[in-house]
Amino acid sequence: MSRRYDSRTTIFSPEGRLYQVEYAMEAIGNAGSALGILASDGVVLVGEKKVTSKLLQASRSAEKMYKVDSHLACAVAGIMSDANILINTARLHAQRYALSYQEPIPVEQLVQSLCDTKQGYTQFGGLRPFGVSFLFAGWDRTHGFQLYMSDPSGNYGGWKAAAVGANSQAAQSMLKQDYRDGMTREEAVALALKVLSKTMDSTSLTAEKLELAEVFLQPGTGEVQYQLCSPDAMGKLLAKAGLTQPAPEA
Amino acid sequence: MDACGTQAAAAAAGGEGTQRTLYPYVTGNSVIAMKYKDGVIMACDTGASYGSTLRYKSVERIKAVGKHSLIGGSGEFSDFQEILRYLDELTLSDHMWDDGNSLGPKEIHAYLTRVMYNRRNKFDPLWNSLVLGGVKKGPKGDEKYLGMVNMIGTHFEDNHLATGFGNHMAIPILRAEWREDMTFEEAIKLIEKCLLVLLYRDRSSINKFQIAKITTEGSTIYPPYALKTNWGFSAFENPSKGAVGTW
Repeated sequence: MSRRYDSRTTIFSPEGRLYQVEYAMEAIGNAGSALGILASDGVVLVGEKKVTSKLLQASRSAEKMYKVDSHLACAVAGIMSDANILINTARLHAQRYALSYQEPIPVEQLVQSLCDTKQGYTQFGGLRPFGVSFLFAGWDRTHGFQLYMSDPSGNYGGWKAAAVGANSQAAQSMLKQDYRDGMTREEAVALALKVLSKTMDSTSLTAEKLELAEVFLQPGTGEVQYQLCSPDAMGKLLAKAGLTQPAPEA
Repeated sequence: MDACGTQAAAAAAGGEGTQRTLYPYVTGNSVIAMKYKDGVIMACDTGASYGSTLRYKSVERIKAVGKHSLIGGSGEFSDFQEILRYLDELTLSDHMWDDGNSLGPKEIHAYLTRVMYNRRNKFDPLWNSLVLGGVKKGPKGDEKYLGMVNMIGTHFEDNHLATGFGNHMAIPILRAEWREDMTFEEAIKLIEKCLLVLLYRDRSSINKFQIAKITTEGSTIYPPYALKTNWGFSAFENPSKGAVGTW
């Protein structure tokens, strides 16, 4: 293999590939998966938590889902420490826009700026790329609800349904088969759980292994809301979808 | 006009010296604006004074900004031109995103507030009072916006605004007679009433005005025109009557 072209991120291989970027995507392929689905009344993000040891302290913060601004959230797959840096950058960027213009940042502008940062790490500086793929879910007044997927190369695209992380290809093809335009959030959640249950490596789907977040408009006020599903509500959803299996220790 | 002297003295002293704007040189006077049924109307005269001289008489102090806004400026005219340049850069980069989004009047007002306030904090203000008005389609329909920001960064929004002497002479009229959803013709009448008072009573105003409007269809800046004034008062006919002697 052309190993001699691996050591520097900022050069092409003779076949025109950026190996470091590809290796970053490999790393993400071993990480917990995340799914995003665009519904008519919101965006649904579901993530698989890889680390579920009993010894892990129950922490208030989420592992896969992050709020970037009141109208924007993301799910991550990959190296968490890399993700934290980028999420911080995204949050700062959103707040700077809000300070200057007193309005929430348009979703695609935020995604594009973040991806420009990621791209920079593939072209100069001699630093390795970020080993994270994101699923951004947000709402703005011009384009309504949107879902974007970005990868270590700095490429991004708008999607109706997308998957990142482990078994993302299988998940993506399943989504392609079962996704229908105009799904409601409820239907999107059910679909996401169904797809995850089939593609996840672990044998059973329990509430501790999943995180679910939704971006939608509050019915009364019309304001954008980001909501992380509580473990209890998660359990109920799984039961409703017929996906729970009794836990081995009660 | 001793700004240069201060700098020369400071330079001669060998230190960096302080750089601060002390006073404006070429100034535009009042701008009046109000919301009406279809959007926002803005008006001002086309004069710019050099101290007490009415030096420039065909100056356009209201300009379109992007697709959704109008800006009117009073105060130092060169600073107003600088602000227009900043807004040009802003609208250009907004356009280059090419993503279906465009900055509305609220965003531009917020941006200008940041610029003005940060300059004042450096003791190098842009010596202006700016009025920013516009209409943009929002989730609740067409949202009209009218805001003001001045050289120290004070900013607020209202249904009608004025700068300079307009604050003292036009605002009382607007407070008494402005109503929600006036037609274009009604708004013009009210604005002309204010402009006339300013023409009579503000010595730095001239009888050449421009009216501009902004609606969802876009902005229109009308060509300049003059108002009819009435000087036919009996006391003006023989001004020296009653003045005894030449002392």
